[in-house]
Amino acid sequence: MKFKKIIISALILLIIGLFVAYKMYNKPHVNVADEKATVSLSAAKLLQDFSTDEATANADYLEKIIQVKGIVAEAKVENNKGIVTLETGDDFATILCHLTVEETKNINTIKVGQNISLKGICTGFLMDVVLVKCVITN
Amino acid sequence: MKNLYIVCFCFLAVCLTNAQERYLTKSGEITFFSESPLENIAAKNSQVLSIVDAGKKQMAISILMKSFMFEKALMQEHFNENYVESDKYPKATFRGAILNFDTITDKETKVEVKGKLTIHGITKEMVIKALAVKKDNAIVMQGDFFITLSDFNVDIPSVVEKNIAKEIKVSFNFNHQPFKK
Repeated sequence: MKFKKIIISALILLIIGLFVAYKMYNKPHVNVADEKATVSLSAAKLLQDFSTDEATANADYLEKIIQVKGIVAEAKVENNKGIVTLETGDDFATILCHLTVEETKNINTIKVGQNISLKGICTGFLMDVVLVKCVITN
Repeated sequence: MKNLYIVCFCFLAVCLTNAQERYLTKSGEITFFSESPLENIAAKNSQVLSIVDAGKKQMAISILMKSFMFEKALMQEHFNENYVESDKYPKATFRGAILNFDTITDKETKVEVKGKLTIHGITKEMVIKALAVKKDNAIVMQGDFFITLSDFNVDIPSVVEKNIAKEIKVSFNFNHQPFKK
């Protein structure tokens, strides 16, 4: 009887363990649309932070959800993915916002020169500051 | 005075030709694929910066490690935190010379790019084969190659050794447009 109890509790533990492991393995990606942005700032300020001190900006912004406001310099679709470029006041560097698949459907509503606010995950700075999985917030 | 004009003219000419001879993409694609008996892992980066300098016959590529998107969030987390340590090494770079640049035509041409690949803080000399084509004033380069994880000091714990291939297939596709401004 005691032996049976041990087996049953061991089995229950095993099932719970497997379930937790399975849940962890299939942990979903962050859904940017549902999450609140960690920081909200202008396109010019975001670029300035990266160009003055990239290491600090990396620590502050990478993998965080960032809401950025700016003027649309370009909106295009490449390989079925929408890309919105924001003006920063700098001739060469911009904020490159790669839209999610769902948001790409709304790319036609974006006009060059309009004010826009987007949020997305910051992955770093090359020539431009790159945000991925962006959604439009206004 | 005349000399000054000549100097100015030469300077301008150099600037102009340089400006015309650069091609660039900010949305180049790199995917990698690890095949193992237990699971296949793939990740895609669509934000690669690649610049071709036609004058110098060179190319330079910069890759943000955190821009690699995986199917599973957990894989992406492990990749960034444990394997490539992207907080410490946020970028991978490649710089090299396109050996037979002048042979590139409007038909697909095999080229070799010899240069230095830096991942995870380790730099390796590599020759990468690619197919290049120059069409409508754009230079498209694509191809694939293998990298060995241990070459770049990427440690795979023995627990997950069977889940991750020792050699990773890397594919790239860059559509370089003429650089304006």
